[in-house]
Amino acid sequence: MNSAKHLLLFLSVAGSLILSGCDDDPAREDVPELITQVKLTFTPIAGGSAVVVTATDPDGNGPQDLVADGPIELMQSTTYDLSIELFNGLLDPTDDGYNLTAEIEEEADEHQFFFRFSTGVFSTPTGSGNIKDNPSTPVDDINYLDEDTNGRPLGLLTRWTTDNVEVSDKSFRIVLKHQPGIKSGTSTSLDGETDVDITFVLTVYLS
Amino acid sequence: MKLTYVILLLLFYAGAKGQPCTYKLSGTVTTETSEILAGATVELITSGITVTDDQGRFQFDKLCKGKYSIRIRFVGFNPFEASFTIPETSTLKVVLVIQKTMLEVVEVHDHFEHVTRTNNQATLTGNALDQTRGQSLGEALKKISGVSSIQTGPSIFKPVIHGLHSQRILMLNNGIRQEGQQWGAEHAPEIDPFIASNIIIIKDASAIKYGTDALGGVVVVNPADLPEQKGIGGEINLVAQTNGRAGTISGMVEGGSEKVKGFGWRVQGTGRKSGDSHTPAYNLSNTGFTEFNFSLAAGIHKEAKGIDVFFSRFQTELGILKGSSISSTEDLRNAMKREPPQFTQPFAYTIENPRQVVAHNLLKVKGHLHSGYGDFKFQYGFQYNTRQEFDIRRASLNNAPAIDLDLFTNTLDMEWQQHASKKFLSNAGINAMMQVNNNVPGTQRIPFIPDFTSLTGGVFYVGKLTLQTWLVDFGARYDYRHYDVAGFDFANRSYTDSYSFGNASFSFGASRTLGNRGVFTTNLASSWRPPHVSELYSFGVHQSAAAIEYGLLLDLATGEVLDFNSVDFQNEKALKWVNTWRISKNWFTAEITGHANYIFNYIYLKPYGVTQTVRGVYPFFHYTQTDATFLGADLFGKLTPTTKFSVSGKVSLLRAADRTNNDYLIYVPTNRYELGAEWRKEMQTAGQTFSIEAWGTFVDEQRRAPRVVSVDEILDAYAQQEDPFENDNRNFDFVAAPPAYFLLNLQAGFSHKLGNSKLDVRLRATNLLNNAYREYTNRMRYYADEVGRNIALSLKLSF
Repeated sequence: MNSAKHLLLFLSVAGSLILSGCDDDPAREDVPELITQVKLTFTPIAGGSAVVVTATDPDGNGPQDLVADGPIELMQSTTYDLSIELFNGLLDPTDDGYNLTAEIEEEADEHQFFFRFSTGVFSTPTGSGNIKDNPSTPVDDINYLDEDTNGRPLGLLTRWTTDNVEVSDKSFRIVLKHQPGIKSGTSTSLDGETDVDITFVLTVYLS
Repeated sequence: MKLTYVILLLLFYAGAKGQPCTYKLSGTVTTETSEILAGATVELITSGITVTDDQGRFQFDKLCKGKYSIRIRFVGFNPFEASFTIPETSTLKVVLVIQKTMLEVVEVHDHFEHVTRTNNQATLTGNALDQTRGQSLGEALKKISGVSSIQTGPSIFKPVIHGLHSQRILMLNNGIRQEGQQWGAEHAPEIDPFIASNIIIIKDASAIKYGTDALGGVVVVNPADLPEQKGIGGEINLVAQTNGRAGTISGMVEGGSEKVKGFGWRVQGTGRKSGDSHTPAYNLSNTGFTEFNFSLAAGIHKEAKGIDVFFSRFQTELGILKGSSISSTEDLRNAMKREPPQFTQPFAYTIENPRQVVAHNLLKVKGHLHSGYGDFKFQYGFQYNTRQEFDIRRASLNNAPAIDLDLFTNTLDMEWQQHASKKFLSNAGINAMMQVNNNVPGTQRIPFIPDFTSLTGGVFYVGKLTLQTWLVDFGARYDYRHYDVAGFDFANRSYTDSYSFGNASFSFGASRTLGNRGVFTTNLASSWRPPHVSELYSFGVHQSAAAIEYGLLLDLATGEVLDFNSVDFQNEKALKWVNTWRISKNWFTAEITGHANYIFNYIYLKPYGVTQTVRGVYPFFHYTQTDATFLGADLFGKLTPTTKFSVSGKVSLLRAADRTNNDYLIYVPTNRYELGAEWRKEMQTAGQTFSIEAWGTFVDEQRRAPRVVSVDEILDAYAQQEDPFENDNRNFDFVAAPPAYFLLNLQAGFSHKLGNSKLDVRLRATNLLNNAYREYTNRMRYYADEVGRNIALSLKLSF
C-alpha cells in the first residue's frame, strides 16, 4: 500500500531528525544570580585593622543551612565604614561570576540594602534601623554613603559609629531588596523581592 | 455485496401544530442482539451531527417541516441510511448490522472507539460545549460533575478529575496522547477547545489502550469527522468579555469534494486576547494573555481504507500576577498581608515578567484499513512543545527565561480490531513513544529539571463481550519505559543516570440494563505511571511558591543527586473502582457515580524542614511516597416538568487522605453543589428559540485541609533554633483554607435560523453578585481574591 510506504518514510525521516538533535551533553549555565556568600568589612575610618565577617551557604538552594561567622566584634565609640560584598562561593575565586558585587552596583536603581540592629549599639545611626516587619514599623535613618543615578540610597557602603557601651549577643541584620520599577522615595524593605537576608551576632568591646 | 440492514421505523404522528421548526426527532441505536450502541455517529443531513449517549439514544431539536435523510455509523457495523419526513416521523429505532467482510460504501471511517462501552464517562458537547466558548479547556471542563481545576491565577487552569491532575490524568488530543510540560501546577494543557466538537471525560482508569498515567481518568478531545459531501460549511465564533476586556475570535471552514469521493478538509483558527482581570475591588496586574491557535486537517476515505493528516499549533503568552512574585519566606508573609497585591496598577493589556511563553505543535498521520482479518489502524504523532518562563530578575537577565524547555515526542500506535462473533470483539495494539526533553541554554540558572530522553513501548489487548442485558469489557496491558537523564546539581556539577521501569495494567468493566430502571455500569481498573523526572530531580524554587522543592533522588544530608538504582523506589499504582447508575424518564434524568481510588506509593511533596539560604529562611519539600485514597461521589439530577422549564442539580463530593501518615493532602478540591433552572421558549417565528438560565454554585470550605503553620511561626521557630518540621513533618499550609463561597450566574440565549445558516447569540454573566472570594485550589489565593463579575457576549454563526 502506497500510503503506508510514505508513512514509513516520513517516520524514519522525522525520527532521525529528532534523534540526531539531542544526544549532546547539556550545556552548563552561568548562574549570576546565585549568591552563596556575603562578606561584611567594617573599616575604622581613623585607621586600624578592619573587622571582617562572612556568611556562607555551602549548597545554595540545597538543604544545608547558611553558616554566619561571628560575632562582629567592634570597638566602642568608633566610626566604621561598612562595605558589603557578594559572592557565588560555589565557584572558584578565579571564575567569572564569582564576585557579584559589581552586578548590584550596576543595577543600583533597583536595589537597596536595609538594616536592623539592636538598639543602643550605635550612637549614629540611632534607633534600630529601617527594616520593617509591617507597614507601621517605625524606621530610623541609615548613613548611606552611596546612591543610585536617581539619588536614592544603595547601601553597599554605609557608615556606623558605635556607642560608648560594652555589649554582646546583639543582632545585626542586612536585607538586600530587588525593587525593579518600584524603588522610590517611599519604597521600604517590604517592597520587592529579597536577594539577601542575613542576621549576624554583634559584640562591642571597650577600647 | 448487498448491504443488509434491518430497520424498524416506529411512526408517531406528531399532529400538525402549524408551528414550523419546532419538531423533534429522537431515536435509539442498537444491534441485532438488542445491544445498546453508545457513541454511534448520527448525521441528520443539513441539520447536524451528534453521537448516541450511553443508552444509545440521540435527539435533534428545532427541526422544520420537510424531508430529511439520516446516516448512522458505528465501528464494525454497516452504516445505516434512510430518508423520511418531519413531522410524520418523530422517533427512529435503528438496528445496525455487523459488517461481514467486504464493504461497498464510501464512508468507512476509523471506527476505533476512544471509550469502551463500560466506561464511566461524561460528555461535553453541543449546547453545553457552546456555553463554555471563550474559556480555556481546563475551565470549560468544570461544567462536568466530578471535574474541578487546579489554578494559578485567572488564566491557568488544569483539569482535576476526582482529585487527581497533571501526570495522573491522560489527555488525548485528537487521538494522540498530549505530551507537554505538565508537571507544574502552573502549566496548563496546550489545547484549543475550539478544535473539539465533543469532549469526553472518562472518570475511571480503564482506558488502557492509550498507555500509562490514567490513574485519575482521561480527557478525550475529539474534533468532528471530516465532511464527505461536496460543498463548504463552517462556523464563526466571537466572544467579548468585560472582565479582562477580553476578546475571542474563532473560525472554521470545512468542505468535501465532488470529484474525489470521500475527500474532506478543514481549516480552523482561534485568537484570544485578554488584559488584566480584576477582582471586585482591584485590578490583578499582569494577568492578561494572548493566544493564537490554528489547525489544518485533510483526509480521504475510500472503500476499505482511509488516511488522515492533521496539524495543529497552539501558542500562548500569559502573565502571572505580579504581586505573587516573591523570593523569600518573608516576601511571602508580606505578600499575604498586602491587599491589594504589590505592583498593582491600572488595567493594561501589556504582559510583563513573570510570564510564560508556551507553544505546542502536533502533526498526526493516521491510516486505517478494513479487511477480512479485521480493522487496522496506524497512527503517527509528532509533538513539539516549548515552554519559557520569565521571572522578575536583574535587569540584565530580564530577557532571559528562567526556565526554557523543548520537548519532542514521537508516538506510533498500531491497533487491530475484529469481531470474532456477533458477541465478541477483540482489540489489540502496540504503542511506542520516544521523548526528548532539552533545557535550552541561556537561562543563566541551574535547570529545575534535567534533560532527558525516554523510550516507551507498550502492548495491550481488550476484549468486549455482549450478552443479553450485559456488556463486559476486560483488558490487559504491559508497558516498559527507559530513561536517560543528564542534569546539574546545586553546585552546578553535572550528573547523568539511566534506568527503566516496567509494569502491567488491568481493567474490567461491566454494564447492565435494568429495564426501565436505567443502566448500571461498574469498572475496576489498576493502572500505574512511571515517575516524571520532575518528581525525581526537581531542584529549586517554583515561581511564587516560597518553598524549595527537592526531587526524590536528592540526598537531604549532602544535597547530592543519588543514583536511581540506589534508592528504594516503587512505582505508583492505582486501583480505581467506579460505579455509575443512570436513569432517564421523560421528565426526569439522574446519574449517581460513586468512586474509590487507592493509590499505592503516591508521590507527593512532603514538607521536610527549613533551610537558610542567603535570601533567608525557606521551608523545603521533598518528593516522598505514601499510600493515598480518594473517595467520592458525583450526583446529577434534572427535572423537566414541562417542555419549557427544567431544574437541575449537581453535587461533587470528595474525601482524600494520606493513609500511611494518617494525614490530609493539600489542594484537594472541595465539595461543590450547583443548582440551576432553565426556561426555554420556541418562538412563533420560524427557527427562533429563546432561553434563559440561572444557576448558583456553592463551594464549601475544605474542612479536611492540612494544619496551618504560618510564616511567622516558621520564622519564630527558626529564630529559636528550632525546626518546626523536624519532629512533625505532617503536611501543612501557610494559611487556613478559604471560607465557603456562593456564586450566582445568569445566561440568556437566542438562536435564529436563516436558511441553512444559524445564528446563536448568548449573554452570560458569571459571579453576578460580584462577590469577593478565594478558591482553595487556586495558588493565587495567598495573594489576591478571585475575579469578580464577568459578562460575556458570544455570537456563533454556523453556515
